[in-house]
Amino acid sequence: MSYGKIGQRLGRIEGPAKVTGEAKYTADILLPGMIWGKVLRSPLPHAKIVAIDTREAEQMPGILAVLTAKDLPDLLTGRLVYDMPVLAIDRVRFIGEKVAVVAAEDPDMAEDALASIDVEYEEMPAVFDAHEAMNPEAPLLHPDYRSYAHAPEKFFSDIPNVHSHVTWELGDIDKGFALAKQVFEHTFSTPAVHQGYIEPHASVVAIDPDGRVNVWISNKMPVRARELLADVIELPEERIVVHLAQIGADFGGKGSLMDAPLCYHLAKRTGRPVKMVMSYTEELMAGNPRHPTSIFLRTGVTEEGQIVARQAKVVFNSGAYAAFKPVPFVNIPGAKDAAGVYGTPHIRIDAYSVYANCVPSGHFRAPGDLQVNFAVESSMDMIAEDLGLDRLEFRKQNLLKDGDWVPGGPQLEEVRVAETLAAAVKASSWNQPKSQPNRGLGLAVSHRLIGTGEANTQLTLKEDGTIQVLTPVPEVGTGAHTILQQIVAETLFLPLDQVRVETATEIFKTDSGSGASRVTYVGGQVVQQAAGELMKLILAAGAKGLGCAENEVVFEGGRVVRSDSDGSLSLVEVAKLGGDGKSALRVKKLLNLSEGPPMTTFTAQVVELEVDPETGQIRLLDVVTAHDVGTIINPLGHQGQIEGGLLQGVGFGLLEELRIEDGQVSTLNLGDYKLPNIRDIPPLTTVLVEEELGPAPFHGKAIGESSITPTGAAIANAVYDAVGVRFHDLPINAEKVYWALQQHRGGKG
Amino acid sequence: MTHTIRLNVNGKEHTVEVSSRRLLVDCLRYDLGLTGTKEGCSVGVCGACTVLMDGKPISSCLALALFADGKEIVTVEGLAREDRLDRVQQAFIDYGGFQCGICTPGMVVTAKALLDENPDPSVDEIKEWMMGNLCRCTGYYKVIESIQGAARQQRKAGDSDEGL
Repeated sequence: MSYGKIGQRLGRIEGPAKVTGEAKYTADILLPGMIWGKVLRSPLPHAKIVAIDTREAEQMPGILAVLTAKDLPDLLTGRLVYDMPVLAIDRVRFIGEKVAVVAAEDPDMAEDALASIDVEYEEMPAVFDAHEAMNPEAPLLHPDYRSYAHAPEKFFSDIPNVHSHVTWELGDIDKGFALAKQVFEHTFSTPAVHQGYIEPHASVVAIDPDGRVNVWISNKMPVRARELLADVIELPEERIVVHLAQIGADFGGKGSLMDAPLCYHLAKRTGRPVKMVMSYTEELMAGNPRHPTSIFLRTGVTEEGQIVARQAKVVFNSGAYAAFKPVPFVNIPGAKDAAGVYGTPHIRIDAYSVYANCVPSGHFRAPGDLQVNFAVESSMDMIAEDLGLDRLEFRKQNLLKDGDWVPGGPQLEEVRVAETLAAAVKASSWNQPKSQPNRGLGLAVSHRLIGTGEANTQLTLKEDGTIQVLTPVPEVGTGAHTILQQIVAETLFLPLDQVRVETATEIFKTDSGSGASRVTYVGGQVVQQAAGELMKLILAAGAKGLGCAENEVVFEGGRVVRSDSDGSLSLVEVAKLGGDGKSALRVKKLLNLSEGPPMTTFTAQVVELEVDPETGQIRLLDVVTAHDVGTIINPLGHQGQIEGGLLQGVGFGLLEELRIEDGQVSTLNLGDYKLPNIRDIPPLTTVLVEEELGPAPFHGKAIGESSITPTGAAIANAVYDAVGVRFHDLPINAEKVYWALQQHRGGKG
Repeated sequence: MTHTIRLNVNGKEHTVEVSSRRLLVDCLRYDLGLTGTKEGCSVGVCGACTVLMDGKPISSCLALALFADGKEIVTVEGLAREDRLDRVQQAFIDYGGFQCGICTPGMVVTAKALLDENPDPSVDEIKEWMMGNLCRCTGYYKVIESIQGAARQQRKAGDSDEGL
């Protein structure tokens, strides 16, 4: 198929605003009389709060309010389960938990006042490791978990501190292992990593004289944020307006209220607009990083090398609160991929999300997928070696096929994993003889189901003949607004600049926002359907204006044209006619997709690297990333998603670790927490295995959470190929490689 | 203690009262309302707050406003002329050099300084120069393409309209 607007390589519609500094992010909102809020955080991982003395702070210059839990409603909040206080109530559960908040004329004054707040704590026994937290003698973080609002009973567990236990099953696991000739057991772990968006969380609240609460918040699901905020500040939703600002990237991490409830309480107390911006140190200490995870795999393989059984136990360290988990089972969805891209008849996966006295974990691009894929794809190489099989052939023999089921997913159609893997291998030096010592190749394959949920839009034919597309989805950086514009323009046969995408929240009641690779699929469909309906209204109004029947007009060259004569109307003229002579032509639509398509998307990567045996330094020589894609709506944005995700995968594999010792994050600034910089990028080849059969509009597929997933495993497998050392935990940094090589040589010597 | 400083920002003279510890980034954003300059890491690592001081890129989150007394500052707001984007700005749009855009003000200002100094930088020279600007969205590939694209445009146009 060839399209007009779909497939064009387009710069962003918000581009000029972003390159000139005109684009406003939440921290850029300046309001008359605005003051600043800052929080005091707990220095202890688990303690009773005996007393808080704020008297001195209240007397300091420029201080307008000091609040503690006793000044707030006795309520908890969270993205699904309400288990987290706005300010600690009687007890702190992690280092960095908010204990008191100060409002001041400027942020320096607020900081100064924090130092004068005196908190008396009584330390309690703490537990930091998720496995230790599951022991019977471990201190319980939330003895009342079962009574929390929205805690899903179906996933309760009797294991201490486990707030969610989810099981995915296919076939009969015992039967599967009975069929196996050999059984392998492997354990892996991955650390907490931060999303690394450069914009720290920010919130602004201003209360109008009539009581309307205006909120600006770096949140990717503003309609849901309004609902959550209404609950925790005890106001009807109608009183709250969430204004959309640009979001300085999300990567899954910006779905919570963060400091917005505190801004509200300070605004209410002081009568002034209040801004709170987290420092990056606060982000690293108390953001919502990717879950530290341990993955145990048990794999049954037949004599012929067929995988017949996969058991997995995935333990996620949830941190002190489950509040940052949005999914109904309050666990991490990626665990369901513990059989990887391999057709396995008998599967049992148990995922445990466990409270511990650490920073609460949240969602980060492809949540759980990276952790589990690192384990699965590392184990594939290990099993192949043990069986004396070629690691590529072993994979090929076991790949998913049409008609296979995946845990927590559909029976698959149009499975294109073999083609994707072949494309990655072909574009790499896989089949060339090994060149030099200390160099190695690794590969890994992943898949990702497309996200479901709710999406809204309202389309209006404006008097100037343009189409206004209202969406409650903020632009988090993915290029979503440009894609919505393309889809509407394509559907209505209009030039791109005749379609204006704007944001609004007030007119929509519920919406899933941006996430789960959902927007092009669900949000794209809702604007496509609404555009189709708007076209019908335009034709009807045009026909009426031209004095003929609806089936006697067509839409051509941006005009409603009578097919039997010269009569025609421009969109400006149609807009003036309106629907019934008065009202604008308008379609408002909500689409709720609860079930995804019977299709998934595959990614295969090959990494070639070199290990410096003296220093342990790893240099990536070549990365090939191959993707199973449908129609590409905006090639520029699509490739941007691949490249950005890939480098985050490189960070996960080689560099990034939020180091936490006894509950204390020790990498507290971006100097210590190393994000990949421009010199860390590897030579990259992208291969797109295209076929027009995706479930999104115009047969597109999702791409946002694809390239990030297999990189960690591909790196680990390449390191093993290079120097014969198998890493069971990430990241594989130079220090770790150095010591492992020392040990390896010692062992051999 | 407060001080009166005079600084030239994007060609315009300003006189501002600042406290001794006022940071340049806060002075630009909150005293002058120029919120195009962003604050990310606050420790001079991410580069989002980069501005040019007498033509050289600096981290405005590490500089006291006092340091800017008598200096010429260029922020992202000062790159476009009469509604016409600077080539670097246009190239970042055309080549996809940003996604969320939060690092972009610092990126384009730093890239502008590079091309002013070196109109034909190699990929390695671009990497060396841009090392202090973190971007979490793009993986940097399209940042490099954007700067190369802007450099090509600039060379093609010659020196006749320097600055545009």
